[in-house]
Amino acid sequence: MKFKNTPRNRNQVSSRNLVSIGTLPLVIVALGVCAWLAFVLWFPKPPPKPDATWLRILETGVFRVGIDPSFPPFESDDAQGNLYGLDIALANELVRVWSLNSETPIRVEFVYTGFDGLYDALKTRQFDAIISALPYDPKKTEDVLFSHSYFNAGPHLIVRAEDTTTKTYYDVMGKAVGVELGSTGDAFARRWQRRLKLDLRTYHTPADALRALRWGEVDAVFADLIAFNDFARREGGVKPVGSALVNEFIVIAVRKDAPTLLGQINAVIDAMKQDGRLEQLYAEWLQ
Amino acid sequence: MKTLPRVLHGLVRALQIVALAAMAYALAAPPPILVTLGPQRVVHTTNPKIGVHTRLTDEVEEWKIKKNFEMVREMGASWVVEYFPWEYLEPEEGSFDWTHADIVVNHARRQGLTVIARLGFVPRWARPRDSVTSYLDEARYPAFALFVTEFARHFAGRVQHLVIWNEPNLNFEWGYRGVDPAAYARMLQVVYPRVKEVEPSVQILAGALAPTLAPAGSVDAMSDLDYLQAMYAAGARDYFDALAAHAYGWTAPADDAPSPRRVNFRRTELLREIMVQNGDAHKRIFITEGGWNDHPRWTKAVHPAERITYTLRAYELCKNWEWVEACALWAFRYPFPAQSYLDYFTFVTPEFDPKPIYYEVQKYATK
Repeated sequence: MKFKNTPRNRNQVSSRNLVSIGTLPLVIVALGVCAWLAFVLWFPKPPPKPDATWLRILETGVFRVGIDPSFPPFESDDAQGNLYGLDIALANELVRVWSLNSETPIRVEFVYTGFDGLYDALKTRQFDAIISALPYDPKKTEDVLFSHSYFNAGPHLIVRAEDTTTKTYYDVMGKAVGVELGSTGDAFARRWQRRLKLDLRTYHTPADALRALRWGEVDAVFADLIAFNDFARREGGVKPVGSALVNEFIVIAVRKDAPTLLGQINAVIDAMKQDGRLEQLYAEWLQ
Repeated sequence: MKTLPRVLHGLVRALQIVALAAMAYALAAPPPILVTLGPQRVVHTTNPKIGVHTRLTDEVEEWKIKKNFEMVREMGASWVVEYFPWEYLEPEEGSFDWTHADIVVNHARRQGLTVIARLGFVPRWARPRDSVTSYLDEARYPAFALFVTEFARHFAGRVQHLVIWNEPNLNFEWGYRGVDPAAYARMLQVVYPRVKEVEPSVQILAGALAPTLAPAGSVDAMSDLDYLQAMYAAGARDYFDALAAHAYGWTAPADDAPSPRRVNFRRTELLREIMVQNGDAHKRIFITEGGWNDHPRWTKAVHPAERITYTLRAYELCKNWEWVEACALWAFRYPFPAQSYLDYFTFVTPEFDPKPIYYEVQKYATK
């Protein structure tokens, strides 16, 4: 068939031109991608800067830790200014492990700082890390690096020692539950109130709530493990069940330019979780 | 002649593409958020003096402003104190922008709440270069008075209570100068008559003094009790209709006995005594800040259960103090976390999650 240059065919040609015009941006984008790939492949990123904080710790043998020693059993000081608590023991364990592979033995130097000033002091290099029962805060991840958690301070389900039927908080549906008024456990219970139809009873302290549990006034208590351990040590008769109802992870913070230090901290924490040293610390300081 | 249809055809095709793109955008773009004032609401409460200080100055989204006031009403509070910074409302001298303030006030009123407006924050044009927003030179008092007058005129019938300045007995709230009760009294003497001339029914609240135990001669602050007495001595009495008071309990229970040597909730009674001694027994006190904090680490905080108990007791005390008109505690909610102990003053989280204290006040106010 012979091609005729009719107006209709002219339109078809015109449409093709439009298509070719439309593909131009695609071609430009494709070329851009190719150029970027070529740049990335031919000019690889320079190696990351060495972690100056970690190098300094190894060189000087001093690990500077920011702490607000007003929060037993994590950190306190006695009349002579001697620090003690779980965080102190943890910091000492970190440097003990690091010292095994370091030419210079490493020691901890604690820097007293008010809790609200810890992040600013870290940022301005007053110390290398915050170890002060610091709760994980997702809003701070732009500013600092957080370690793996070494404690969960969130509320747990606590039941009587002889209770073998309550496994999760769903098992307390319709039952009497005690909480410390205004606590995180209280907030959790109120949030689930409508679904679980709890007979919620508030007490002024977690110990009062746990005592009510022991005496049979309530069937369960939502309280954190610090309160539980304190009560269990003094009065006993109760036990925690399952994992935390609300996660409140306690972590260590370092500056963003200290990834090697973070890795070293995480390695020790992970090892302590694996070989039971962390449990030993809990037993020593929380029970 | 042949090229013209081709050009036209191309143009039509281009327009079609633009129209398609516009349609795709219209379909993909989220619809505009429609926030209406809604029906007129009434606060149901057993204690009409319950109030809270809201923090909506930095709240951008209107639905959040509305939600804030809805939750205040549902808690059983009738009063809200809100901050209206002078610089935001009069960014250039003589040029006023009431847009955001109107949204705040209209939503509050629609929820049946009474607004107490706290005024301050000096604009750049009204202060020397490199000075802070709490610095106002006496030569600029008339400019501030004009702003307050315009505020009163604009919100006539909607906002009837204006707090003049905030905590002038603190150095940093007085432009980092030595605090000066006589200078503050002169501010009242400039502002009061001008506002009254335009809106005689508006109540001018003075003071909003920070409770402090600062020793005499301190560069940081002056005792609120000494400051109030000095205000009277400087002739402030005829230039305010009521006193704004800040009643923080720190670690003491609400019933803790008042003493000049203690900061506690009932320190407000000492302010009242000074007013009585100076012939102002007829004037009311509005508590425009106060309350307790339950941060786990802050040295001036209490346990959550104590905070709730003390707060309920404080509202009850106010109910029985006939000389207190409103008891607005700090702070209902922050628009974003303060990332400090301040977050533990609030009743509701920035995400509008009510804390147990919210439910307990609600239970108290609606029992």
